[in-house]
Amino acid sequence: MMSLKSSVGSSLAGKACHGANAQVLPRLAVPAPLAGTAVRPSLAVNAVNPEKNGAYEGSPIVSGPISVGAMDKDSKGSSKPVDRSKGLWTRCDKCGVILYIKHLKEHHHICFGCNYHLKMSSQERIDHMIDPGSWRPFDETLSPCDPLDFVDMKPYPDRVRDSQDKTGMNDAIRTGTGLLHGIPVALAVMEFGFMGGSMGSVVGEKLTRLIEYATQEGLTLLVVCTSGGARMQEGIMSLMQMAKISGALHVHQNEANLLYISILTSPTTGGVTASFGMLGDVIIAEPQAIIGFAGRRVIEQTLREELPDDFQTAEYLLDKGLLDLVVPRSFLKGALFEIIDFYKNAPYKRRGKIPFGVQRGTYGLTAEEKMRRRWREWSSAGSNGSGTPALAAAAAEPSYQDLVASFQQVCSSAAESLTPGELDVADLVKEPAALNDAVSISRDSVIEWMEAQEALLGKKEQQQPEFVFRVKPATYSGRAV
Amino acid sequence: MALAQGLTKRAGGVRSASVSRRTVNPVRCSVFSAKNAAQRSAEVGREWLETILSRFGPATDRAQNITTLDFEKPLSELDKRIKEVRKVAEENGVDVSSQIGELESRAQQLRKETYSRLTPTQRLQVARHPNRPTCLDIILNITDKFVELHGDRAGLDDPAIVCGIGSMDGVSFMFIGHQKGRNTKENIRRNFGMPQPNGYRKAMRFMRHANKFGLPIVTFVDTPGAYAGKKAEELGQGEAIAYNLREMFGLRVPVISVVIGEGGSGGALAIGCANKNLIMENSVYYVASPEACAAILWKSRSASNQATEALRITADQLVRLEVMDEVIPEPLGGAHSDPVAAFPAIKAAILSTFRHYEPMSEREIQLDRYQKFRKLGQFEEWVVRGADWRNVRSERASAAGVQTDAGTWALNEAEAAYIESSVNADEAWDATLVEKADWTNKPVQPPGLGRSGVMEMAVSMVEARRRKQAAAGSRSTAPAPAAAAKQEAAV
Repeated sequence: MMSLKSSVGSSLAGKACHGANAQVLPRLAVPAPLAGTAVRPSLAVNAVNPEKNGAYEGSPIVSGPISVGAMDKDSKGSSKPVDRSKGLWTRCDKCGVILYIKHLKEHHHICFGCNYHLKMSSQERIDHMIDPGSWRPFDETLSPCDPLDFVDMKPYPDRVRDSQDKTGMNDAIRTGTGLLHGIPVALAVMEFGFMGGSMGSVVGEKLTRLIEYATQEGLTLLVVCTSGGARMQEGIMSLMQMAKISGALHVHQNEANLLYISILTSPTTGGVTASFGMLGDVIIAEPQAIIGFAGRRVIEQTLREELPDDFQTAEYLLDKGLLDLVVPRSFLKGALFEIIDFYKNAPYKRRGKIPFGVQRGTYGLTAEEKMRRRWREWSSAGSNGSGTPALAAAAAEPSYQDLVASFQQVCSSAAESLTPGELDVADLVKEPAALNDAVSISRDSVIEWMEAQEALLGKKEQQQPEFVFRVKPATYSGRAV
Repeated sequence: MALAQGLTKRAGGVRSASVSRRTVNPVRCSVFSAKNAAQRSAEVGREWLETILSRFGPATDRAQNITTLDFEKPLSELDKRIKEVRKVAEENGVDVSSQIGELESRAQQLRKETYSRLTPTQRLQVARHPNRPTCLDIILNITDKFVELHGDRAGLDDPAIVCGIGSMDGVSFMFIGHQKGRNTKENIRRNFGMPQPNGYRKAMRFMRHANKFGLPIVTFVDTPGAYAGKKAEELGQGEAIAYNLREMFGLRVPVISVVIGEGGSGGALAIGCANKNLIMENSVYYVASPEACAAILWKSRSASNQATEALRITADQLVRLEVMDEVIPEPLGGAHSDPVAAFPAIKAAILSTFRHYEPMSEREIQLDRYQKFRKLGQFEEWVVRGADWRNVRSERASAAGVQTDAGTWALNEAEAAYIESSVNADEAWDATLVEKADWTNKPVQPPGLGRSGVMEMAVSMVEARRRKQAAAGSRSTAPAPAAAAKQEAAV
């Protein structure tokens, strides 16, 4: 197996990527003067407090734009840390060195002192991975409801509103498509700042829609995972999202034979690890990322034994055979390009199929708009004297060619042989009222579809299987050429 | 006979104290002996069977030492009083039938009242009752024949998951379930029903086995969750669950899942991605145990009761959320107090669900499973701050709104501009995709997918026309599947 280092080549200088045959040590070496620091390298997920921007409990060091030593009580008597840094600097979670935010952004949020990968927001990750100007977000307006009317110490709607104000997003994920060094990919990035990246109904729905779109267009799927688990305030609905996403991934990976790369960043735990996080055809992790299923403290309490310091880190999982690669953030975009390039040049690549699916009617704000625009094209082309949308196909932009061409076939075949009971699309398009009827029906309905042969025939009628035989001249060793 | 007894004694060393063992029915032995077995081969079969059933016997009647829950104490006191009165009457020869009748009717009334008004916390206690029938109890009582199979073929077996093939009413099924123990010793052996990754891989192997041979799968969910341990993490607990979740959607046979105890989060879902989810009346299913939820959200374990109420884990609440499909009724007093009466209801529910799937084709079964989970999730399409969706909906319903250039309704100018710019960006992206076609591998699919709205429009137009013509009373046009078939043929 070629290690990624050689294939990436001269364009990437510096430390190599971590692969199975890599020459470098699997663990990043901590610089000697800082090795004795009392900071624990593994940040247990259960102890991570989103309010404190990722520091563990009892830590004297608070990361984020908050100055150390500002834990003194303010006039109200609360121990909330006071921000004196003016948003200009922060400290590394691991080694505590001071990092200027501007330099941090240039270095992909990697600490220059210990190479620790600090957390990045989802928009920054998208800017890092997607070519500028090619990002097309999906479903930005999807918002969470309160299915259980959940009230713990604070009502769930209040928590949602606070997180929405803090991050500016509607929920904990950004989905969309873009170009990665020129490759069209479907990308989803989770946001840890929104309620700890917890997966609720909106995350599940946005991700499922993205996976279905990637399957339909034949794109590679990339998901950057960072999460504390399933959102408990949405209860059993969060759990069902795991199944929903996995179902869409089954169609994407198994039926349509498409590539899915999951990128695990720190921390990735709970329901995300137990569903789409560990389902990638290629699983890439960032160095020293905390990835696991159960929380470290839970395991320590169950077993009552000391766990090794590097227990749920990426290098540990690599050693136990659960990851494919550990790639530092500076090499991630190049590494992804090279990996997808390998799959593009596979000589026996197969075209898959989507044997069944569910369309939830006109979901989103854009579906209806697209329908109306297409309708306008066809009816205006029709009213110009052509009569059928078949000629509208010629006038349409080549970007819709295959879609309109298939409709053209439907229309032309319908015109030729119209058995009683079959539809005549050309006839339908002439009625202006039909559009509004169609829109109102599709807004309220769910359309299910599957392979036609099975739907019509049922399982009782088995078709005779066809076999193809080829006779080859034998070589001297008795094998056919 | 002495040999048989000797074998039984030796092999029956691990006796479960809480359930009495009955002698094995000769019918059961016919699995492993010839059809018209002579007496001797029946005996040999019985001995052999007892060696493998020695650790476990089917539950036949009430267990010897029953744990009483808090809210059941008044009931158990009444029962004790009835027993005392009866004993005294026997000793002294007094006729107390009227008093006993009165006491028994009171006990029945109290039982009915208690069990019809169980709070979620009480239901959780019943779901975790140590005497509640376990997976093997149920399987051995509802099947005519059953054989348990083992191993993940990769170095380990997991006692927390039970897999086997059995037949009900002549139809063969694959049974997979979480197994809890009935006493402490058995619980330790079964790891309290918490599977490790090898257990999930064993379950997946048997699901593939059933897929290959066309056996419908029945799964029994009864677990506090997946085991959280160092070895489990190293073997890949998350990966094992995720793999199960994904591959279950590719099975061509119907999967029926019955929650018989507690359903703990991902550990339960890994064998619970089914066509139909059945749940027993007093069972629960949760995303995180109420204790863990209380510790994390309420910052103290003592808030478990509040967490139980808030998480909506009981059977009726789950059916209302459309996560579970059917509630299987339990006998009065819960399944732990009268297990034999609970089994017929379970068998009837499973068989009637299976009959529903018998005439379906394989693709229909897969589509049914996919759409069952695709529809789950509550969210709003438009921006709602603070989950205040009711107000936003009423606002949108009452507002006059504006229209985009093409005629789509939007709430205000900003939204109309957003819709138009989004669709413009989509069209630009579609143009890019055509350029980059060699990087894509578009699968065979019905035309009009890909967020274009074309497929929905076509199907909806046909449906609208069909409804209009049906309403007008004229002969209806072809239904949507025929239209889909036409479009399929056109691809």
